[in-house]
Amino acid sequence: MRKLSPHDIPRIAGEEKARQAAWKGMLMVCTGTGCVSAHGFDILHALQKEIKDAGLDNEWVAVGTGCNGFCAAGPIVVVQPQGVFYQKVKIEDTKTIVDEHLKGGSPVEKLLFKDPVSGVVAQTMDEIGFFRKQELIALRNKGLIDPENIQHYIARGGYDALRKILERQEPEAVIDEIIASGIRGRGGGGFPSGIKWRSGRKAAEDRNEEIYVVCNADEGDPGAYMDRSIIETDPHSVIEGMLIGGFAVGAKEGFVYMRKEYPLAMDRLHIAIDQAREAGLLGENILGTSFSFDIRVHRGAGAFVCGESTALMASMSGRAGEPRAKYVHNVEYGYRDKPTVLNNVETWANIPVIIEKGAQWFASIGSGDVSESPWGGSSGAKVFSLVGDIRNTGLVEAPMGISLREIIEDIGGGIPNGRQFKAVQTGGPSGGCIPASMLDMPVDFDSLTEAGSMMGSGGMIVMDDHTCMVDVARYFVDFLVDESCGKCTPCREGLYHMRNILQRICDGEGKESDIDTLEELANTIRETSLCQLGASAPNPVLSTLRYFRDEYEEHIRDRKCRAGVCKALIRYEINDKCIGCTACARACPVNAITGETKKLHVIDAEACIKCGICYETCKFGAVEVK
Amino acid sequence: MEKVNIIINGKEVTVPKDTYLLKAMQNEGITVPTLCHHKDLTPSGTCRLCVVEIEQNGKKKIVTSCNYPVRSEIKVETDSERIKQHRKILAELYLGRWPNVPVIKDIAKRCGVSESRFTSEMTEESEKACILCTHCVRGCHEFIMEDILDFAGRGIKRHLTMPFGEVDPHCIGCTSCAYVCPTGAIEVVDDLQNPVNPQLIRDYGMRINAEMATLDKNQCRMREVGTANIVDVMDAYDLLPVHNYKFGKHENTKNIDSKMLKKKYFTQQMPDGCWKGCSMACAKTVDGFELKTGPYKGEKVCVDGPEYETAAGAANMGCFDADFLVEFNFYCDTYGVDTISMATCTAFVMEAFEAGQITTEHTGGLVLNFGATDAVLEMLHQMARGEGFGVDVGQGIRWLKNKWAKEYGADGDFLQDIGMEIKGLEYSEYVCKESLAQQVGYSAAVKGPQHDEAWLIFMDMVNNQIPTFENKAEALYYYPLWRTWFGLLGLCKLVWNDVVPLDNSKFPPPVAAKVPGHVEDFFKFFEGMTGIPLDEEKMLAQSARVHNLQRIMSRMLGYGTRKDDIPPYRAVGPVTEEEFLSRQERFDKQLKELLGLDPEKMQLDEKRKVLREYRYQQYNKALDAAYERRGWTRDGVPKVERLKELGIDLPELIAIIQNDQSA
Repeated sequence: MRKLSPHDIPRIAGEEKARQAAWKGMLMVCTGTGCVSAHGFDILHALQKEIKDAGLDNEWVAVGTGCNGFCAAGPIVVVQPQGVFYQKVKIEDTKTIVDEHLKGGSPVEKLLFKDPVSGVVAQTMDEIGFFRKQELIALRNKGLIDPENIQHYIARGGYDALRKILERQEPEAVIDEIIASGIRGRGGGGFPSGIKWRSGRKAAEDRNEEIYVVCNADEGDPGAYMDRSIIETDPHSVIEGMLIGGFAVGAKEGFVYMRKEYPLAMDRLHIAIDQAREAGLLGENILGTSFSFDIRVHRGAGAFVCGESTALMASMSGRAGEPRAKYVHNVEYGYRDKPTVLNNVETWANIPVIIEKGAQWFASIGSGDVSESPWGGSSGAKVFSLVGDIRNTGLVEAPMGISLREIIEDIGGGIPNGRQFKAVQTGGPSGGCIPASMLDMPVDFDSLTEAGSMMGSGGMIVMDDHTCMVDVARYFVDFLVDESCGKCTPCREGLYHMRNILQRICDGEGKESDIDTLEELANTIRETSLCQLGASAPNPVLSTLRYFRDEYEEHIRDRKCRAGVCKALIRYEINDKCIGCTACARACPVNAITGETKKLHVIDAEACIKCGICYETCKFGAVEVK
Repeated sequence: MEKVNIIINGKEVTVPKDTYLLKAMQNEGITVPTLCHHKDLTPSGTCRLCVVEIEQNGKKKIVTSCNYPVRSEIKVETDSERIKQHRKILAELYLGRWPNVPVIKDIAKRCGVSESRFTSEMTEESEKACILCTHCVRGCHEFIMEDILDFAGRGIKRHLTMPFGEVDPHCIGCTSCAYVCPTGAIEVVDDLQNPVNPQLIRDYGMRINAEMATLDKNQCRMREVGTANIVDVMDAYDLLPVHNYKFGKHENTKNIDSKMLKKKYFTQQMPDGCWKGCSMACAKTVDGFELKTGPYKGEKVCVDGPEYETAAGAANMGCFDADFLVEFNFYCDTYGVDTISMATCTAFVMEAFEAGQITTEHTGGLVLNFGATDAVLEMLHQMARGEGFGVDVGQGIRWLKNKWAKEYGADGDFLQDIGMEIKGLEYSEYVCKESLAQQVGYSAAVKGPQHDEAWLIFMDMVNNQIPTFENKAEALYYYPLWRTWFGLLGLCKLVWNDVVPLDNSKFPPPVAAKVPGHVEDFFKFFEGMTGIPLDEEKMLAQSARVHNLQRIMSRMLGYGTRKDDIPPYRAVGPVTEEEFLSRQERFDKQLKELLGLDPEKMQLDEKRKVLREYRYQQYNKALDAAYERRGWTRDGVPKVERLKELGIDLPELIAIIQNDQSA
């Protein structure tokens, strides 16, 4: 593609839209990492072959997209513009789709989504509860474009925001717009992005220094994949966001810091950067204006702490990824000791839409009132990765202020397997666990912090009543013990001892004084750690102590784990429902179950390793956890 | 400097903005427990013991005082209950991990902790355990700019190591790490040079280490730009040689000064490594420089420089072009050509060329005006190839003066005035017209006018530390000997007076110029190595023996008398009309104030003539004084009695000088 002029943007958009409208339909095959692991690419290629073999390749086209979001239903094929949603597609289904749908004209019934509760079959995506309450801003193009095709992005309005700001040439006005939108950083801290930009621009002007913009794509929370999906789905939205930010603050160089474990996102980002360079959207004299800007990608090695802004800058500079005190901020002295504006992937992806649709539109979505200051509320929508004990695992984007209940029950479809909701852990490993009694609280930056958790980058792990909250705290603290960089004493030593105490409690060796010690340690770690990793690390313990203290006490005093998780505190027994089918005895890996056919079986408590296989195997409810 | 008012424990205090809070507290005699803090190292804020509570705009928060820069009005509480509780927990964590390390026990005691709940499989019983305080890591990085030591392992697995867990052969055994270790965890296992008293060397070595690490960035920036920092200073003081020493500054100096070099050229940002582990650790190397000429054209090379003298040489040739400067530097180094001699000789050629003393007929077609960068490089390549005009230039100024006057009919007197050489050696790159001390320093130096033996320009002209005639005469005795002493010991002088101790200005200026604190350091190194205590008198005697011996050898080779110590007039005063007029105000003032003349009533030629006579007269007076102080005759020959005094009155030496004793 030759270097573009401003008027080329609407022209390309028009041409691409016309090209797409000429198809009878487009089969959008999810090729996000989740579906790819379930043969997403094979399905795409098979569909393309079937279409060609059927001689329909002038009428229909199969396109690989980024993550559709409804991961529980993957692999997914959506026929657009009709919106017919096929779930759990297998390679052999592709011929059926071509035969029945493309040739025959009627949707493939068995691949349509059936609501597990009501049993209603959804003919189109709109009819599926998972999609209904979502508000797509950062994910506006998910499932609708080929992430490796810049024309697809432009056809959906891409690079038009950039064109507009370059025409107006008022960088300060761009910053004003971002401040007025009230957008706060989607990476965890919730700091107003526009205010950060303004400080950066000022620091660079005051010192007559270069300034950089950086995109934090080092997402490391277990079970969270918002940023990865955004880049896999719509890499140009991040590039355009960074271009707008770069123009606003006066930067010439931008960097994306991405963990190496995201190979697909890495490929797609590189392809997008190359395309943008070729089109003159990155490089010298962008769209023929005096604005020059380019983006380079830094690969991170995957340490969790490298998502912390100062550790990220250290890692980018070739030093060990360890944080430094933030008394002097990155916007003053960041990468190469120059003013540096860091936002995460999702924040950058929001920027073009804010410019396109205006600050007022963005501010009208969400909770609180940001008309005076971005600190007054949480505007816009937030992407969450909804995982754990929930029917509709997947990636969702919902307006700020939506209740937890709406996310979990309406979008998430509730808890499967007939179990009860117990808690939801938000904000990544150093977030907190929120109990059922608080399900109606609004999800926004300030409410979550007040509840002892945090927004973090948007991880949401749902837990049912088979979850032990002490074990959950132990699990997350264990993760953080591993991921603490070890630079400061409270985080390095304190977390280690917290983990040891939690382990002890789970092992049935808890002491009366343990809860007090945990609280003392948690307090010191929270208030004296060098960076936010340490400062927020006690949250899993503090929030579970706040809402589930009785479970700790039961573990310590009664030596009991009500969820049946902590092996040292449970035993398996066989009750009189046993019909002597021998299935459990055959399944037991250590031969701890004895009994004759058609007679009551018995578990040898000494030999039992509490693996739970017998419990899962028994079809008669005869194996009990006590 | 902007000041900020803060309240510490109820007491109002004013501190300069950006002062670290801990320092502000210590100034008031308020101490808090610290472990990772070290007075000579940048704060790392890792032990967290120095936490205090601050209140800003009504909001309270906890900060580590060691690295918290005071920027606005704050209220500080250093020992609130909340803070004491945190310190207690931290001390308990420390005590649980390292129960027998004395500094940990002290901290625990101070924080009111005697028992720890936090013993575990990580507990180390050793009294000399590493407590991860980071002193050694920062010391290695900050004192000598190496990174031999660092931590590996995350979280609780953090441990001190060298790369890949092996003993790193790059460690030069400077022992800084062991010195700053508070527990004795780092043991020094060898003393290869077998010094008599290694501890004495370390104690004083660490003093220098700490000064370089903490003061250089505010004084010379040797660790950022090497000696190139002087370019900016010399230009500001009208001392930077421009157009063969005619002028002392130029509007285009900014194109080759340290700011430009730092911004666009000095990319390596690690010590040059002329002496690995050096406390000063000059860093100035250019990486990936693409050559535009010569046999390596198109190749990307690493260039160790430019140093001050090379950059100033470019100014002397009127070549204010940093690309040229780096390329010139590279090829001089590669060919084994001294950048100073090359630049000074070329500047002379250029002036002669511009004055019409030689033409393209003589230069083989090279157009050698000031600033002719391409022609200079071509001449340099010719010199290396042994071809053309380059071969002549390679013979040096003395040879060229002779040849041009004899063979090309050039004006010999003029060439004598502008040819900046003595004893056949080209001048190094300082304009010394206004510095009597430097004039004599240059010309009476045994091997010729280089700055190594008597670099007095800075103390004379920039710091104004030797204002009187007596001061200058004394400096011409002391410094050549002191500087020769460095040569005797094989030491670098940059560490002595480029960075000076913070309290150096407490001495009267002529003493401050000697940097007594650092002189003491070097005497202690000598003593630590040899076991022989040293003082100024003994040092001067050691050095004077060699210095006089050198002068006698010079005499033996046909130099070493007064006639060989007389500088060209360019080194003493303005040769040309243009040169005089460019600083007319200064020279007129001198005629008036020093000679009681009225310049208004004088013709230019007359003024020049009078000034010339006066300046040479002053020069000779200073030379007399220097000879006298050195124990030399009026003809500059060491007196036999001086040799006796020094115990080097060997018959073969006396034989060389005995006939020159009458003057």
